[in-house]
Amino acid sequence: MKKTILKMTDISKSFSGVEALKNAALDLREGEVLALMGENGAGKSTLMKILTGIYPKDGGEVEVFGEKVNFKSVNDSQEKGIAIIHQELNMMKDLTVAQNIFIGREYMKLGVVIDDHKMQREAKKLLDYVGVDIPPSKRLGELTVGKQQMVEIAKAISHKAKLLVLDEPTAALTSVEVDELFRIMNELKVQGIGMIYISHRMDEIKRISDRVTVMRDGEYIGTVDTDKTDTEEIVRMMVGRVVYGDKKEKSNCPENAPTVLEVENLNVDDTVKNVSFNLKKGEILGFSGLMGAGRTEVARAIFGADKKTGGKIKIKGEYVEINSPEEAVKKGLCYISEDRKRYGLLLDKSVTDNSVLASIGDFVRFGFIDDTHAREEAEKTNKKLRTKTPSMSQIVRNLSGGNQQKVVVARWLIKNADIFIFDEPTRGIDIGAKSEMYELMEELVKNGKSIIMISSELAEIQRCSDRVIVMCEGRITGELPVKDATQENIMRFAMMR
Amino acid sequence: MNNRLKEKSSFLSGFFEKSKQNFIIVAALVVLVILFYVLNPNFLNEYNIISMAQSLAPYAILGLGVTFAIATGGIDLSIGTVCIASSVVAGKLYTDGILPLWGTVPVMIIIGASFGLINGLLIAKLKLPAFIATLGTMMVSRGLSAIIVNAPNVFYPTGTAFNRLFSNYNGFPSGILWVLAFMIICMYLMYKNKVGRYILSIGSNEEATRLSGINTDKYKIIAYVLTGIGAGLAAVFWSSSFVTVASATGNGMELDAIAGVYIGGTSAAGGIASVGGSVIGAAMLVVIRSGLNFVLAKYNVSVNSTYVTYVLTGVIVVFSVLIDILKNRKKK
Repeated sequence: MKKTILKMTDISKSFSGVEALKNAALDLREGEVLALMGENGAGKSTLMKILTGIYPKDGGEVEVFGEKVNFKSVNDSQEKGIAIIHQELNMMKDLTVAQNIFIGREYMKLGVVIDDHKMQREAKKLLDYVGVDIPPSKRLGELTVGKQQMVEIAKAISHKAKLLVLDEPTAALTSVEVDELFRIMNELKVQGIGMIYISHRMDEIKRISDRVTVMRDGEYIGTVDTDKTDTEEIVRMMVGRVVYGDKKEKSNCPENAPTVLEVENLNVDDTVKNVSFNLKKGEILGFSGLMGAGRTEVARAIFGADKKTGGKIKIKGEYVEINSPEEAVKKGLCYISEDRKRYGLLLDKSVTDNSVLASIGDFVRFGFIDDTHAREEAEKTNKKLRTKTPSMSQIVRNLSGGNQQKVVVARWLIKNADIFIFDEPTRGIDIGAKSEMYELMEELVKNGKSIIMISSELAEIQRCSDRVIVMCEGRITGELPVKDATQENIMRFAMMR
Repeated sequence: MNNRLKEKSSFLSGFFEKSKQNFIIVAALVVLVILFYVLNPNFLNEYNIISMAQSLAPYAILGLGVTFAIATGGIDLSIGTVCIASSVVAGKLYTDGILPLWGTVPVMIIIGASFGLINGLLIAKLKLPAFIATLGTMMVSRGLSAIIVNAPNVFYPTGTAFNRLFSNYNGFPSGILWVLAFMIICMYLMYKNKVGRYILSIGSNEEATRLSGINTDKYKIIAYVLTGIGAGLAAVFWSSSFVTVASATGNGMELDAIAGVYIGGTSAAGGIASVGGSVIGAAMLVVIRSGLNFVLAKYNVSVNSTYVTYVLTGVIVVFSVLIDILKNRKKK
């Protein structure tokens, strides 16, 4: 048996009280590819960030090449021969390939002048070693994403990396580029380099990995040999039991409810392809799928936040033209982003200011904004939502995630929106506040609102949706009534290509 | 219960921003005035008070205008040259007999607003960084006005009703009343009108504002048009105070006005604006400039007071913004 080069045991990590990892574990042998799998939020990325020294761990042990380590920074892990190829590449697009590879340790002439020629010669050697034909003097930004990834691998090797983490490296690659990447990975295997490969794509995992380790809810679930397992087993390990709330058994939305929103052949560049669906009054329509499946893009295009390249939208039976959020809001739509801080809140403004942002015009009296009336309305609505805030003039930055989310919901209740698009409604919200969010959504549909809920948490989809649409790579791959929306069924559609 | 009581107020609540910063800079202004007075009591003679009040008007009005651009998180470097351009072009039309004297007022405002519109379109629609867009219009407005006028100076009359109304009414600095009036209008626009509320929201988080269904491009353009109108109005007060206006004057005027806005407590990052502070900030600059003149003259220091003014103003700008940053850091 091959030598174990990495052993992580009992790793735990919390972020401001929320447990992200507990009893997480992993071991990697030299010259193997270990696939690390798990749902979004299972803790894969956090574990890798601990391995590479980006986050300090709260507890547990990390052993690298038989030596106990406690990395405090990325430099520490780099020195021990660990390199990570990120999902989003971390390189300077305006520098050349060679400059990127040698950034931070440039060759110098006479100690003061950067020796670009020598860097290019050395870079060429590395790229030859990796086996790719990329001119080292080319600007990185002129290369395809796939080629950029090869450069990053070459850079990792130049750091004498013995352990490589690849975080969803194929997400943006063409199939030819994937073949090329796998060829390189196979060569690195021969040279004894161990690789941790994070991916959701079963077919690739079967092709490239030797073993599969599965994580769920921040915990180590198990490790299986790739050639002795199948998709069914891995999916079962990934989803496990239901974590919170019961699965809905049947739709609460009456069958004859009128359709409020129809989307026909929606296209957005190449991220959304021919998406068609409809939403009924009083329905919670769940959008499931893996990260990058194109669900947020669908939502933003319907809401007019991004340009659509094709498709039509009908609201209450009439075709509507929506080219901006302004027009969408006038038609009764609203979009509640997963990234509240960037796309939802005015962080340095008060609860009142945030609550009435979309409807200031309704509070104008004799040409003056009636702030007292606005505050009363904000107070009334936030009280209904049970937003916990010391006062209406509290700055929203100081509220918890769940209460911030309620302030955004209050904004749209005050605006009297009809169709709510929730994008990951409980992201960054602790478990107690989650169920409150679910009750809130149920309350909304009871009052005749309609909801599209994008969620990457299967349990959340099952708990809330009346109907589930599953997307993969920009397409709708399946639609399930809630009674058939088992985790296995959803995952199968989510990985269907 | 206490909180509720505190929040109870009339529907005019928020018209005068409740800012501690305002109190601090008013206090700093008073300290400066006392300091200059102690160093040279002549500083507060009647003539100098009037002269300071008179020269406040153009700077304060430039500052009030550019507060709107800065509140969006942007900047407008063109206000100084646009102000001078408005003044010389309107003055040329007047001396050539094309415009009556009163006709210059709307023309100056229109020229200012037009440049503001151009800035707004460049920034909101074409997504140019505000610094670059307005650096461009700053150069264009200066060059273009000099070409159009084709003379080193234009002449405005003295002692007419025009001068009395905007500059000096038989010894009373009438400009100061206009400054107060414009300040109140700007407070209304900034704090009690949709326009200001949206401008501040854009400065706070533009994307979140857009996703709340607000046409952010439109309100950004409005902010720059208001800034441009400020430049045009400032030209009215500039023209009424001087007999001759040269195309080449007003160098660095925009920077003085912008410095006053920052000193006044408006956040350079946008989202927080102090309309009253902009006027006080401008007053601070005027007091420093005049006060240093008096002090240096009295103690026979043979340095050009302009340069000392620059040093002192620079230090005050950096410190007043630094205090703000440190205060915010402590909060987090």
